[in-house]
Amino acid sequence: MENMQFIIIVIFSPLIQGIIKKLKANFQGRVGSSIFQPYYDLMRLFKKEMVVSHVTSWIFRVAPYIVFVSTIMAAIMVPVITTKSTYSITGDIIVLIYIFAMGKFFMALAALDSGTAFGGEGSSREMMVSILVEPMIMLCIFTTAIAAGSTNLAVIAEQHNTILTPSHMLAFFAFMIAIVADTGRIPVDNPDTHLELTMIHEGMLLEYSGRYLALMEWAHYMKQMLLFTIVVDMFFPLGIAYDGGMPEIAVAFGSYFLKILFLAGIMSVVESTRAKLRFFELPSLLGGSFALAVLSLLTLIMIGR
Amino acid sequence: MPENEEYKEVGKSEFRSHCIALCLSKKAVLRLMFATDERDTDNCFKIYAVFSEQGRDMFHIPFFRLREDDLTFRSITDGIPAAHWYEREIMDMFGLVPKYHPDQRRLVFHDSFPANSHPLRKDWTISEKDLNEWGKGVAKKVPHDFLKVEGEGVYEIPVGPIHAGIIEPGHFRFSAVGETILYLEPRMFYTHKGIEKHFEGMSFQEGVRLSERVSGTSTFSHSVAYCMAVERMAGINVTEKAQATRTLLLELERLYNHIGDIGFLCAGTGFTVGNATGSKIKEMLMLLNDRLTKSRYLRGVNTIGGVTMDILLHTTDISLTIDTVAKEYKNLMKLLLGTVSHIERLENAGRLSKETVMKLGVTGIAAKASGIEDDIRRSHPHLIYNKIFDAATFTRQDGDVLARMMARAEEAECSMHMIKTIVEVQYEGDLQVKADDIPPNSHALGYTETPRGSLFYWVKSDGKGRPSRVKLRSPSYCNWPAVPFAAQGNIVPDFPLCNKSFNLSYSGCNM
Repeated sequence: MENMQFIIIVIFSPLIQGIIKKLKANFQGRVGSSIFQPYYDLMRLFKKEMVVSHVTSWIFRVAPYIVFVSTIMAAIMVPVITTKSTYSITGDIIVLIYIFAMGKFFMALAALDSGTAFGGEGSSREMMVSILVEPMIMLCIFTTAIAAGSTNLAVIAEQHNTILTPSHMLAFFAFMIAIVADTGRIPVDNPDTHLELTMIHEGMLLEYSGRYLALMEWAHYMKQMLLFTIVVDMFFPLGIAYDGGMPEIAVAFGSYFLKILFLAGIMSVVESTRAKLRFFELPSLLGGSFALAVLSLLTLIMIGR
Repeated sequence: MPENEEYKEVGKSEFRSHCIALCLSKKAVLRLMFATDERDTDNCFKIYAVFSEQGRDMFHIPFFRLREDDLTFRSITDGIPAAHWYEREIMDMFGLVPKYHPDQRRLVFHDSFPANSHPLRKDWTISEKDLNEWGKGVAKKVPHDFLKVEGEGVYEIPVGPIHAGIIEPGHFRFSAVGETILYLEPRMFYTHKGIEKHFEGMSFQEGVRLSERVSGTSTFSHSVAYCMAVERMAGINVTEKAQATRTLLLELERLYNHIGDIGFLCAGTGFTVGNATGSKIKEMLMLLNDRLTKSRYLRGVNTIGGVTMDILLHTTDISLTIDTVAKEYKNLMKLLLGTVSHIERLENAGRLSKETVMKLGVTGIAAKASGIEDDIRRSHPHLIYNKIFDAATFTRQDGDVLARMMARAEEAECSMHMIKTIVEVQYEGDLQVKADDIPPNSHALGYTETPRGSLFYWVKSDGKGRPSRVKLRSPSYCNWPAVPFAAQGNIVPDFPLCNKSFNLSYSGCNM
């Protein structure tokens, strides 16, 4: 049963998106749509007819499946509520990052494949952001991995005592900025925009419709929740279950959701209090958080915690 | 004929030098240029150019005749660049060809529109075949001849006419290197409505309803300028009460537009809370409009000779709402100016130089933000503006998006102040005066300041006192050509922000 914990990510990821949207709406003084709206959206998209440009090749049609499946693969490797899982032996976090990168690669390729100006723009911008984000994520992971003595997420999650060290705090902040950039949120990208010229992530999806779009969107929700889960595992694992005992799992389940909700809250506050950055100023934000990540690693090496 | 209009007939060959002399000697600005088909009375076409003198309430209107044996005239665009769209429009609408115009492409009609079809000529008809082919969209699609930018790494981004958001159609062709815009060519007129032709088939009174529907956000300004033109032509003196009502509603219209625009700018930077707050305040004002006039867009108030309802009965409601709005507006500005990430985006984006503004005859907020005090309420006082418009000017020197936002903000504050001043005073007179007799064969200008800039109507009656030509020039029409200059050198993702800071109407072009 504990091998099925990735189902939590698959099922609840649209809900987290719905909650973030609801919180953002409340910040704007609006009632906002229901927190279940992303589920309705996905259902609607799955039913809809697809419009596929006749100039596209097989890449365009295969990419949604690759993106969706690779995200599920990543979800399988991540300890969600318990560290005891037969798959978690393969839960090497560096592999995980590259599974994400593979999905992103195909998404960018498919956007180029459609041959539109906005797809190309979206791809080139997304790649530029990725180049800046990836090393940052790696450094944060190295900090926690060195402290835990393993790059296996399950092992990292079992190290309770090392969480509130200076190096972990620095890495946590850097990682949060990386998540903002990677999930296409303000100040890096605006997920709610209708201005096609400013789009990054949305620009890549502009040619998709119907089922393909549903898969892409769902994969995006899952990736967002997965990144939150990785934060929880690396920085606040307290409460996670070590074996498959029912009471322990119930506690883990509850604490996991509280932590995810907390992160969702942070995301909506960040999105509501800032404007989007000018595109070419992104390197200064992401460079700054890269410096944080470097510092966290240095701190760990120099003062040992 | 109104006192501040000075018509002067000049020879066809002297027209250009006369216009340039006006610009140089009187510091006059080209406000509008148009043609009329007067072949039935004077056996000729006439082309008029309206210049407004700076520092004196006077319009200089030189015109010349064009006989049918030679339908070409010397273009004035090389001397007065502001004329470039007007002359191309005259070419499309009347088939009068401006010789030596640097851009001989069509403007209003797209390339698949039948050639040699000029709708504003009185004898215009369209053949069954053309109508079928063109009306149903089966006419041969002729690609537009966009200016090409060549060089290594230059690529084109076609945007629109259908956009991801729900806005009106307009096509933008960017030539960019990486993310930097080298050149931008907008193409408008996708939904040309033939409004000027429509006016010709109505009575002047019916025209009021049409003028209210030219541009949604400047509904009231359009009907004021139209009514004013007809009243000036007929020599009708509107009572002070009607003038005060018009001024009040003009300022209410300006206020809801400006506050809405300031909030809307936040949608360009992704600052959602600012956008929502702006919309909220705008809605309060629209609800006030609805309570006052039974129309959120202030429709149905104006009529020729005055106004139809006594808005000044509701002074308590107006001043209470304005007080609440003023408070909320202050908080909004505090929030916006306190959000560094928002202001950083606005600074230095979309700079429009003073020279471009002067050359293209840019009007309104865009001109004020670039250091030109262009406000027709001050330069040509009308309604009761000479009594309530104080001396403050809103000009800013930077010409960037932030300057345009701040110019709007200052104008909005001034509007609130004026509204408060208007409702404190009692005005004499009836709501409207009788306006049955429209004199035949006369003409006049009407003008006012919309939230976007100056607006002009020129009306002419025929032998029976019905409209024979109604020319209107919205502020969007003379500001659209300036947008590419503001966008040049910016990065592509900043263009929506630059565009929003002008907040021009697509519909306002399609007359």
